[in-house]
Amino acid sequence: MIKVEGLTKVYDSDIRAVNDISFTIPKGKIACIIGTSGCGKTTTLKMINRLIEPSEGKIWIDDKECHEMDAVHWRRRIGYVIQKAGLLPHLTVRENIELLAKIIKRPKRERLKRSNELLEMIDLDPSEFATRYPIELSGGQQQRVGIARALMEDPPVLLMDEPFGALDPITRNTMHEEVLHLNSKLGKTFVIVTHDMEEAFKLGDEILLMDKGEIVQKGSKEDFINHPKNDFVEAFVTQQLNRDNL
Amino acid sequence: MRMYLIWILFVLSNLSFAQKSNDINPIKVGSKIFTEGQILGEMMTLVLNEKLDHPATAQLNFGGTKVVFDALLGEDIDIYPEYTGTGYVFILKKENLIRDPERIYKEVALAYKERYQILWSPPMGFNNSYALVVRKDDPRFSGISKLSQLPKDLRSFRYASPHEFMERTDGFRSFKDFYQFQFDPSQIMGMDAGLMYSALKEKQVDMIMAYATDGRIEAYHLKTIKDDLHFFPPYWAAWNFKEKTLKKYPILKEATELFHNLISEEEMIRMNAAVDEYKRSPKEVARNFLIKKGILTGKVNKKSSHSKRGVLEFLYQKRFYLYKIMKEHIQLSSLSLFLAILISLPLGILLTRYQKISGPVFAVINTLQTIPSLALLGLLIPLTGIGFVPAITALFLYCLLPLIRNTYTGIQGVDSKYIEASKGMGLTSFQILKTVEIPLALPVILAGVRTSSVIVIGTATLAALVGAGGLGEPIFRGVATINSSLILLGAIPSALLAILVDKALSLAERKLISKGLQLQEKR
Repeated sequence: MIKVEGLTKVYDSDIRAVNDISFTIPKGKIACIIGTSGCGKTTTLKMINRLIEPSEGKIWIDDKECHEMDAVHWRRRIGYVIQKAGLLPHLTVRENIELLAKIIKRPKRERLKRSNELLEMIDLDPSEFATRYPIELSGGQQQRVGIARALMEDPPVLLMDEPFGALDPITRNTMHEEVLHLNSKLGKTFVIVTHDMEEAFKLGDEILLMDKGEIVQKGSKEDFINHPKNDFVEAFVTQQLNRDNL
Repeated sequence: MRMYLIWILFVLSNLSFAQKSNDINPIKVGSKIFTEGQILGEMMTLVLNEKLDHPATAQLNFGGTKVVFDALLGEDIDIYPEYTGTGYVFILKKENLIRDPERIYKEVALAYKERYQILWSPPMGFNNSYALVVRKDDPRFSGISKLSQLPKDLRSFRYASPHEFMERTDGFRSFKDFYQFQFDPSQIMGMDAGLMYSALKEKQVDMIMAYATDGRIEAYHLKTIKDDLHFFPPYWAAWNFKEKTLKKYPILKEATELFHNLISEEEMIRMNAAVDEYKRSPKEVARNFLIKKGILTGKVNKKSSHSKRGVLEFLYQKRFYLYKIMKEHIQLSSLSLFLAILISLPLGILLTRYQKISGPVFAVINTLQTIPSLALLGLLIPLTGIGFVPAITALFLYCLLPLIRNTYTGIQGVDSKYIEASKGMGLTSFQILKTVEIPLALPVILAGVRTSSVIVIGTATLAALVGAGGLGEPIFRGVATINSSLILLGAIPSALLAILVDKALSLAERKLISKGLQLQEKR
């Protein structure tokens, strides 16, 4: 469960990148934050794992509020996946997946078992892929390793920042299926930032449309199609879906 | 196999020990690191070994005055040739006020005996002082052999002297005032002592201030004009040895007396020329001279054995010397590089964290880098003295820029998405530095290390100028005596060393840099 209350980010005392937003994502659900670039969606995501410190507001993950612990420990409870995976090019697939576990000194045997599990889960044969370097993987494989890395420490929450933006449509589709599969299998809460309405509709149990630092509408796919809150939402949905269907 | 070799070495070393202990201790003859000292040293060794039947070993090419003097004091050598002027000015630090050469000799001998228990032998006969040197065939100097015969107005002549002579207070200015000469200021230049002679020969200049017994005076058809009013202290050559040593080897008295007034300036010039210009060995030149003087018997060897000397033989002869300077060179370079790496890596990283100070810091380091290396050494001497310390300091400063700059740009250049991904994962900034930033910046950092190491190996040749030794030593001696074999003896190993280190580091890079990055580089 993620709960956000009155989250605000103010830059230079007057630019409000995110202005007093609140939402709750129940455990095991996927939330998609969508909006045009500059709407504050990535800022919101980065405030959840405190890559950007909120100016105001509170964040809960399950029963812990973010101000109860330091940022580093807070982040360790949150998986984080970024565009093009952000895999470290100097480490092998296994080293990438095990990086955090190694740093917090998990025993080697435990690490190995877990990383093998994860590799199998993302359909990459450990004996073939564990020793490869990121450059030796396809875009989709890299993104799957990125997800495996985020899951290594079994965090209750997974944040994804435009994770499939750089993939070709076919791979992207496969990845969508995998995310849905993972979500139903693992029961983790996902927050996915995207600018693609179709992706949001496909993945999101809950969709948050943002504009100018505020949430314009939040709800399910059906809410957005059948009950757009205003003309902006209507226009955004139609425009996006038309473009993608053409 | 190895055991076998060790056994042979063991036996051999025992043999040589056994031989030594049966004999009387050999007298160790030393000299400074230049041709004239070598010839005189060889001469003394020959006289002792072959005339007086006392074993003697030549330990020539010891270093500058200070080094040889200390070696004598410490009894690393037993005897070496020194000049009265050097003892007077350099060792005893006296102002040159007395003009009487005889009195200076006596004063030096007395002070040496009292202060250092070192004795001066009777002088050998020649005076290797500064002298005004001109071309023999220059009609303007025909019939002139003494400075007092020269006209006072020398404004139509172009004059050159070594840089140090231009600057010293007892140098050019006092010299010209003493003889009341007038020069045209635009026609006076300071020049490298080694190049001066060729400049005179090629008529680039008309008169030079040179060493009175330099071999090139003969080889280039030059002549000296004598300092007849004794502006310069006399540089009479004589043997130096400790009182204690004389008691141990009374034969030294006879040996040194044999040298009394044995060698004239002309003879010394000719011998220096035979070695420097006609490439004969100092030992051969010394032997021929002693035979001519009737001290040794045998046939004068007219043909040069040197000219037939091959490169390999030359290298073989110089192998111990080469080993020594190579070792010094490697010590100088590696120590300064090591210190620079130690400072630069943390500093480079620190600068990426404190961007505000990086500007001023780089300005300072860039400026340091633009100071010519020779000037930097010169600036350091008053602060650090001569020898190892200024050499290491200068080399260290030269390494800094490429190291700091590459560390800085390497770390700065790490794609922010990797840092963000790692930070988002829950790594602390130190963990990110260690596991992400440094490994990713490593190719650039190591490139800096490679650049620095090549710079440092090349620049370390300059260390010879401040007495720190290294491969620059034969280079500068070679330049000074126009001896290309010597120049190459320093230049080739230092070039090879640079190439070797560069190759070794590129191999190390392949080991140290992650294979993932190397694959990325290839695509």
